[in-house]
Amino acid sequence: MNVHTSQSRTPAETALIDAFSERVGDLPGNADVAVARDTALEALKIQGLPSRRIESWHYTDIRTQLRSVAPFDAAAGSQPIAPLIAGSTVAAVSNGATISAGQVDGVTFEKLSEKLADGTFAPALATRSTDDLIGQINAAYVTDGWHVDIAEGAELETPLELQNLQKSGQSHVRFPVRVGKGAKATIIERQYGGEGEAFSSSISQLTVADGAEIVWIILRQHGDTSVQFCQFNAWLGKDAKLTLFVVNAGGKLVRQEVHVLAKGEGSDFQLRGINLLGGESHTDVTMTVGHLVENTTSTEIVRNVVTGRARGVFQGMIRVAKIAQKTDARMACNSLLLSDDAEFDAKPELEIFADDVACGHGATVTEIDQDHLFYLMARGIPEKEARGLLVKAFVAEIIEELEDEPLVEALEAILEDWLSAHG
Amino acid sequence: MPAVQETIEQVRNIDVDQYKYGFETLIETDKAPKGLNEDIIRFISAKKNEPEWMLEWRLEAYRRWLTLEEPTWARVNYPKIDFQDIYYYAAPKNQAGPKSLDEVDPELLKTYEKLGIPLKEQEILAGVRKAGELSPSGDEAVDGEVSDSVYNSGRVAVDAVFDSVSVVTTFKKELAKAGVIFCSISEAIREHPELVKKYLGSVVPTSDNFYATLNSAVFTDGSFVYVPKGVRCPMELSTYFRINEKNTGQFERTLIIAEEGAYVSYLEGCTAPQRDENQLHAAVVELVALDDAEIKYSTVQNWYPGDKDGKGGIYNFVTKRGDCRGKNSKISWTQVETGSAITWKYPSCILRGDNSRGEFYSIAVSNGHQQIDSGTKMIHLGKNTSSRIISKGISAGHSNNTYRGQVSAHRKATNARNFTQCDSLLIGNDCGAHTVPYIEAKNATAQFEHEATTSKISEDALFYVMQRGIPEEEAIALIVNGFVKEVIQELPMEFAVEAQKLIGISLEGSVG
Repeated sequence: MNVHTSQSRTPAETALIDAFSERVGDLPGNADVAVARDTALEALKIQGLPSRRIESWHYTDIRTQLRSVAPFDAAAGSQPIAPLIAGSTVAAVSNGATISAGQVDGVTFEKLSEKLADGTFAPALATRSTDDLIGQINAAYVTDGWHVDIAEGAELETPLELQNLQKSGQSHVRFPVRVGKGAKATIIERQYGGEGEAFSSSISQLTVADGAEIVWIILRQHGDTSVQFCQFNAWLGKDAKLTLFVVNAGGKLVRQEVHVLAKGEGSDFQLRGINLLGGESHTDVTMTVGHLVENTTSTEIVRNVVTGRARGVFQGMIRVAKIAQKTDARMACNSLLLSDDAEFDAKPELEIFADDVACGHGATVTEIDQDHLFYLMARGIPEKEARGLLVKAFVAEIIEELEDEPLVEALEAILEDWLSAHG
Repeated sequence: MPAVQETIEQVRNIDVDQYKYGFETLIETDKAPKGLNEDIIRFISAKKNEPEWMLEWRLEAYRRWLTLEEPTWARVNYPKIDFQDIYYYAAPKNQAGPKSLDEVDPELLKTYEKLGIPLKEQEILAGVRKAGELSPSGDEAVDGEVSDSVYNSGRVAVDAVFDSVSVVTTFKKELAKAGVIFCSISEAIREHPELVKKYLGSVVPTSDNFYATLNSAVFTDGSFVYVPKGVRCPMELSTYFRINEKNTGQFERTLIIAEEGAYVSYLEGCTAPQRDENQLHAAVVELVALDDAEIKYSTVQNWYPGDKDGKGGIYNFVTKRGDCRGKNSKISWTQVETGSAITWKYPSCILRGDNSRGEFYSIAVSNGHQQIDSGTKMIHLGKNTSSRIISKGISAGHSNNTYRGQVSAHRKATNARNFTQCDSLLIGNDCGAHTVPYIEAKNATAQFEHEATTSKISEDALFYVMQRGIPEEEAIALIVNGFVKEVIQELPMEFAVEAQKLIGISLEGSVG
C-alpha cells in the first residue's frame, strides 16, 4: 500500500530530506552516483518514512518512532577499537570515513569513497524496492566504507573485523565484500556506538562465489540513545555456504535487515539471531531468504530475550521459487519475556511456489519455565541466579553452534555482561 | 507434494469445471436499480419495513463507507470493483411473506432440492408432523410440550437466504418452545428491536473495515439467533445462502447471541450459479457469547469459483467475528472453503471474558485460478484465555492459498495460551501456498506456540504404511486424509459428510 503523499512531513522526515542540499557538495561520486543519490532521495520524498501500514514495517512504525535525527558532527570521529578476537585483521570506519585497514594475504581493501568518485559503484546503489527505507537513506548519503575482495581459494586463518564506529552524530557507510571461489573466511561486522545521540545506516553487500564458505558475525553494541538502520545483502553461488550470526545488544531504535538469495544449486544459508533487549530498546530483525534454484537449504533460528520496557520484532520470510524444487528451509523464532512491560512480535512467513519442498517455521513466546526454575532452586540456587542460568542456557545453545572456540568465548562474554547489567 | 494420481483425481472432482451448483433458477425477482446511493439504502430499508433507527444506522454506515478505501494488503489480485455496477437488492417476487411452504414459489423449492436441502422432507422425516401439515414458518401451534424427538440429533432447522432475502425458516415454532429465536434478521429488526439494537454492530462496528461498513449500509437479510439463558439449543441451526440473480451483490448479516450458559451450533452453506462475471458477496457475521455460553459456527463455503480460465466466480469478502464477552465462554469456528474466485475472510475471536476460549479449524482447498487469503485472529484480552488454531491448506491448479492469522496477548491478558498449526500441501507446480502469521505478545505470562509446514508426504510415513501391505496410492490417500482429519472431526456430523464429499478426499481405508 502506498503512503499518501498528502501526509504532512514529520520532523525526522524533514531533517533527513533537508540535510541533502547541505551535504550534497561533500558527498563523493561522479555523475552516475549523483543520479543514483537523487533517485534514492526522490523515492524517500515520495514514500516518506514508513508507517505500520507498510507491511514490511508493520511492527516498526518509523513515522512515529523516529522522532529526531542526530545531526552530522564532524568531531564525532574516533580511533579503532580492540578487535573481538585478538589477532583479527581490522578495517575500520569512524563517523562515516575510513580510518585504517590492516593487511593480510589474499585480501584487498579499497576505500568505497574512491569507487564512488570514479562511479564504478553507482549501479550497486540501486534500492531494493519502494519500501526500502534503509537503501534510500544510505544511497542518498553514503560517504565511505571498505570494499573488500577475498581472493579465489584464500583460506583466512584469522577473522576479518569490519568496524563501524559511531559514538554520536550521523553517518552512512557500506561494506561491499566479494568472496572468490572456494575461499574460506570469518568476518566480524562490528557495529559499535557510544552514549551520545547517534543516527547511522550501514549496508553490507556480500557475494559468495561457488564453493566458498563464510561465517559472518554482526555484533551490535550501541548506547541507548542510538538509532541504527542496517542491511545485510548476500548472494550465494553454487555450493556456497554462509553462516550469519546477528547479535543485538544495545541501541534505542534498531532495524537490522537480512536479505539472502540462494542463487546457486547446493548453497546453504544458516542464520542465528540473538536479540538481547532491555531498557526502552526497540529492535527489529527482518529477514527474507529467497530460494531461487533447486536443492538449496536454509535454517534460521532466532532467540530473543526481552526485559524492561523493550520491544523486539522478528519478521522472517522464506520464499521458494517455482523451479526451486527440493528446497529445505526451516525457521524458528523463540522468545523469552522477562518483564511485564516487555513485548515481542513475530511474523514468520512462508511463500512457496514449488511443490516438492520441505519448509516449516515455528514460533514461541513464553516466560521462564517455572518447572525448570523450581528444579534449580530446589538444589539451593537462589532465584536470581537460577533465572540467569536459564536465560543463559536459552541463548548459549545458539552461540555454541559456532565451532570456533575464541568466538564462542567472546560472544558468551558479551552475553554475561548483558545479563549482569539487565539481570 | 508431487502429484499422486488419486489425489489429483479427487481434487479435480471439485475443480472449477465440476461445479455442480452452477445452475440458474429462472424466477421473477424484484430488484432495486443498479448502483449505490442514499436513495437505494432508503429503498432497501423501506422494502424491509424497517424502523427509522435502522435506516439511520445504515445511512451512517454508508457515509462512513464513502470515506474508506478498499483494503489492498491481502495476497489477492482482481480488477477494481465498480460498486455502482451492482444491484444491491434482489428478491424473489413473492413478497407477501409465505405462510407455508406451499406458498413459496415452486421454482425456489426446486432450487433448494437441487442443492440437497429438502426443506419439506426434513420436516416430515423429523416425525413431528405428518405430511400435509406443513407450516414451516411456524404459524400453527403444535400442541403439548416439545416432543423428545426435537432433542434428538440429526435434525436441522434451516433458514434459506435467496439473493437478498430469507425465503423460509423451518422449525421456528419448536425452537420458540425452547425459547430460541431463529428468524431472518429483517424479521428480528421488526419483532425484537431491543435485542438487535443492543447487539447489532457491537462486535463488528459499522466503521470496522471497508466491506463490513458497506455491508452495514446495504445488508438485505441474514439470520438472527438468540438463545436465552441456560438453554441448550435443541437442534442444529442452519442457513443456506444462494446467490442467483445476475450482477447482484449479496450482503447478508448474521447475528447470534448466546446468553449465560447457552449453547448453540450453527451451520452455514453457500452456492451460486455459474456466470461469466464476478459477483460480490460481502457478509458480516457477529457472535456474542456471554458467561459460560458456547457457540459453534461451521461453514461449508462452496460459492461458484469461476471457470477453468479464472473467468467469473464469487468475490467472497467476509467479516466474521465472535466476541467471548462473558467469563468461561467459548466460540469455535470451523470452515471448509472450496469455493469462490477470491476469498478474503478471517473468522476471529475476541477473548474478552476471563477463562474464555476461541477455536479455529479450517480446511481451504483451492484449484483453478482461485485465490484464498484466509485465516483468523485471536485477540487475548482477559485472564487465562486460550485459543487453538488448526489450518490446513491444499492448493492445486493455478491457485494461491494464503493463511493469514494474528494471535495477540494484551498487557492484562495474564496466562494467555495459544497453539497454532498451519500446514500446506501443494499439488502441481503452478500454485502457491503461503503463510503469514502475526504473533504479538505484550504479556510475559503469555505462552504462544506456532508451527507451520509446507511439504510433500514424509517418506518415512509412506514407508511405514506401505510395508504393512498397503499399496502406495492408498497409503498416500490415507496420509492425506490424516492431513485434514483434525478439522473434519470438528464439523457436525451432517456437515462432515458434505465436507468430505466436497474435498473429494475419502476417508475410506483409514480403518485399522
